[in-house]
Amino acid sequence: MAKIGVFVCHCGENIASMVDTGKLVTAISGHPGVAFSSEYKYFCSDPGQETVKRAIRENNLTGVVVAACSPRMHEQTFRKACAEAGLNPYMLELANIREQCSWVHTDRIEATDKAIEITRALVEKVKRNNDLQPISVPVTRRAMVIGGGVAGIQAAIDIATAGREVVLVEREPSIGGHMSQISETFPTLDCSQCILTPRMVEAVQHPNIRVMTYAEVEEVDGFIGNFTVKVRSKARYVKMETCTGCGDCIQKCPVKKIPSEFECELGNRTAIYTPFAQAVPNVPVIDRSRCTYFKNGKCAICKKTCQIDSIDFEQEDKTEYIEVGAIVVATGFQVQNTSMYGEYGYGRYKDVITGLHFERLASASGPTAGKIKRPSDGKEPETVVFIQCAGSRDASKGVKYCSKICCMYTAKHAMLYAHKVHHGKSQIFYMDIRAAGKGYDEFTRRAIEEDEAGYIRGRVSKLYEENGKLIVRGVDTLLGKPVEVEADMVVLATAMVPQPDAKEFAQRIGIGYDEYGFFNEAHLKLRPVETSTAGIYLAGACQSPKDIPDSVSQASAAAAKVLGLFSKEQLEREPVVATVSDSTCAGCWGCVIACPYNAIDRKEITDRNGNLIKRVASVNPGLCQGCGTCVSFCRSNSIDLAGFTESQIFAEVMGL
Amino acid sequence: MGIQEQYRTDAANLLDSGAVKLVIGYGEGSTPERRRPIFIRSAEEVGRLVLDANCIANLSAYLVPEGLLSDGKSVAVFLKPDGIRSVNILAAEAQLNPEQVVILGFNIDAGLANPLPGRKANEFAPLLASLKSAGLSTDLQREADRLEQMTAVERFEYWKEQFSKCIKCYACRQVCPMCYCRRCIVDVNQPQWVNTSSHTLGNFEWNIIRAYHLAGRCVACGGCDRACPVNIPLRLLNHRMSKEALDTFDHFAGESADQKPVLATFRQDDPETFIL
Ligand SMILES: Cc1cc2nc3c(=O)[nH]c(=O)nc-3n(C[C@H](O)[C@H](O)[C@H](O)COP(=O)(O)OP(=O)(O)OC[C@H]3O[C@@H](n4cnc5c(N)ncnc54)[C@H](O)[C@@H]3O)c2cc1C
Ligand code: SF4
Ligand code: SF4
Ligand code: SF4
Ligand code: SF4
Repeated sequence: MAKIGVFVCHCGENIASMVDTGKLVTAISGHPGVAFSSEYKYFCSDPGQETVKRAIRENNLTGVVVAACSPRMHEQTFRKACAEAGLNPYMLELANIREQCSWVHTDRIEATDKAIEITRALVEKVKRNNDLQPISVPVTRRAMVIGGGVAGIQAAIDIATAGREVVLVEREPSIGGHMSQISETFPTLDCSQCILTPRMVEAVQHPNIRVMTYAEVEEVDGFIGNFTVKVRSKARYVKMETCTGCGDCIQKCPVKKIPSEFECELGNRTAIYTPFAQAVPNVPVIDRSRCTYFKNGKCAICKKTCQIDSIDFEQEDKTEYIEVGAIVVATGFQVQNTSMYGEYGYGRYKDVITGLHFERLASASGPTAGKIKRPSDGKEPETVVFIQCAGSRDASKGVKYCSKICCMYTAKHAMLYAHKVHHGKSQIFYMDIRAAGKGYDEFTRRAIEEDEAGYIRGRVSKLYEENGKLIVRGVDTLLGKPVEVEADMVVLATAMVPQPDAKEFAQRIGIGYDEYGFFNEAHLKLRPVETSTAGIYLAGACQSPKDIPDSVSQASAAAAKVLGLFSKEQLEREPVVATVSDSTCAGCWGCVIACPYNAIDRKEITDRNGNLIKRVASVNPGLCQGCGTCVSFCRSNSIDLAGFTESQIFAEVMGL
Repeated sequence: MGIQEQYRTDAANLLDSGAVKLVIGYGEGSTPERRRPIFIRSAEEVGRLVLDANCIANLSAYLVPEGLLSDGKSVAVFLKPDGIRSVNILAAEAQLNPEQVVILGFNIDAGLANPLPGRKANEFAPLLASLKSAGLSTDLQREADRLEQMTAVERFEYWKEQFSKCIKCYACRQVCPMCYCRRCIVDVNQPQWVNTSSHTLGNFEWNIIRAYHLAGRCVACGGCDRACPVNIPLRLLNHRMSKEALDTFDHFAGESADQKPVLATFRQDDPETFIL
């Protein structure tokens, strides 16, 4: 005989204000099988849980229904309480009378009736529940970090230093990401390369880190603790094992006029190249689309030059499958292409550049060796106009959000400009100055007070060229007057947007993303570095615009999550898995195709003599995630899901 | 030589040479214009085969009984394009090996049966592709259009009235080549998802489940519609589902033997208008 206990929670006022809990208790206490019922202000509290435990023990309850909030909130809490009282944790059901009832209704009588129905349905279900035992699966204690920017590097080093293996996958020829392009960094103005390069070297030299550059993740299979990742290493045409990075080949390559991506096309590179001098690994790649040898079979000068024969034109892309237990996604961002702003003339006037261009101009290792020279004629600009929010906070043309870093880097640019061009004059058009962060407001104040950055509050309406000058027109909204500035160069603080392939990438590896393509965290406040796919974590600007301190903190947080997962050899999994009925399965393999976790195999049923009788589907309980896709697909109704069996669901529905 | 003579000869040759162990074709029926399936195992019997414009049943349903093909030997079968499509689906759903099915293909045009070149299902790919690009239509097109014009409530009333006639004889299921499950969901009584008594709710449950189970699989052979003793226009229901599968997911049932089930797969560019 079922002896079900029903515990009706008030959730403070959350439920009790809309549901007559007393009436609910009375109604349910008369329901067949209900042996105990009570109500309380907060069942999730310590005394509340004690009440549940005591009732289980004293009444020998065989099942429990807590009529309260969503199972997402407290299913684990009450399962634990049941287990502590000696009841199998899967003999518990939560009747959601908060999110699905009290919160969404305005009529107390109707809401109460609905709460009674919901609770009754769950009582009917729990009567048919069975004891289930958790499943243990082994954890592969190796992590993959995708993206080798500062966030990815930090996460990799943290995990590796704690003693776990890491595979760091970067699609460019070198790790480093955007930080390697930046000249000096706010709010301290230390040189970006100087603080990043040692980290890059630490990563490649770390015995626990395997760095794969020029490589892309093509597929992710499996689940938390047991992912299989397909990685394609693109052909470099240079042998990683032997190349010493002497750079002789680069010197000799005759194709020299290729606009360098790293230099934002302000400088050139050769067909065989490393993106920058401090590249890690310091092994060049051949850009097949530009190389003369690949075009017409002639040249091969690099091959002749290399003294240790490290050039290999025959190399091919290599694919491997790597087993990992956790994945940290740190694929970063890109700066928005601002050419949609006709009024700013980006792409039309050579001397209208983005903040990233400015970083390269200001960088000691950049194309101008750190001298501020404008792109059109190489002259030192006397007046520079900076336009903030060139794309951010602009719902009509750009993006709605604030890119968070532009106020700071524009202040930094104005400072660097003042330090490098002493008589130069900077004018900054801004909407607000957002400088929240340790040392940030002080930093912008310094730009204004010490380095005489001229801030004009207002937007630029028009920009055009006249007599070799860029005329910038706008309104000073504080003075309520139009302004016009004659500038030699204009720097746009363009928005930080997701990588061009972010959405497609997210779909490929199975994580969520927002309307722009920034990857979604599981909970903005409480689980900011996890994704809703268990075992996949986020770090850096791929989640939202971030500066270096934020990216690095998040990377360490993600590493901590990974290490937490790796702290045990086995992972306890919910026993909610599917099973196939051999006798009725028609072997159509629809479920095999439908299962998003590839958890279903084909099984042969043979007679005693080994003769094949039929083939049927068979679920691997180690892989099954209990999503139920197969159950809904199977036409012959041959699959059942533990914890959500057909008869349980049926009883629940009929209980309504 | 007419098509009937030609195919009788072909059937005799196939049986004589041992290329097939059985020919499934049409024979005389109970009235002059009716045809019934016949099963021929020796060349002497081919004279019983009839092929004319009355041969409309989709004989592919006779390929799936358990054990028929498990010895690895081949079977020849008379099929119209709809039947060829269902062979492809049965192959895609692992119910048969298309290499074991020798097709005696024909179509019916202007009251005549005409031969279709090809022997194995994959040889008919160009024909099926042209059918796909020609789009879906039904001989009840006006009725289909009328239903399309109705409001959801009116349409519901229409089907309620139609389904109220259903006597749950399951003839529609028995005739359909796609209904090969050893145990149909209507036969499940633990729990009893589909009510077996013939009242409106149970009838709705049954007919809607069947429509869903045939989504992206029905080849519009019309077998169910003809089998239904109470004349429920089942082809209209199936036509609507096929249209949805084709228009929304570019899925033409039985286009090839490696087609994936439309309800079990997705493509990255699938429309997501239904996701709120
Ligand atoms: C103009 C400008 C100036 C800035 N100045 C400062 C400053 O002074 N101080 C400060 O704190 N911050 C500054 N920032 C912000 C800083 O650049 C970012 O916070 C930081 O680079 C974010 O690091 P990340 O690792 O998340 O991303 P990224 O640096 O973008 O690195 C991502 C890496 O992942 C790789 N990747 C992408 N997709 C894939 C894939 N599918 N597979 C494999 N690899 C992939 C990329 O190639 C890249 O190497 C500035 C930004 C800009 C635009
Ligand atoms: S979908 Fe159902 S019938 Fe088809 S293989 Fe899977 S379990 Fe068997
Ligand atoms: S419930 Fe079915 S579809 Fe979902 S993971 Fe398990 S086997 Fe795959
Ligand atoms: S549902 Fe009807 S028309 Fe469609 S394939 Fe089956 S029998 Fe033919
Ligand atoms: S053939 Fe007609 S009456 Fe019989 S079950 Fe099918 S729809 Fe109902």
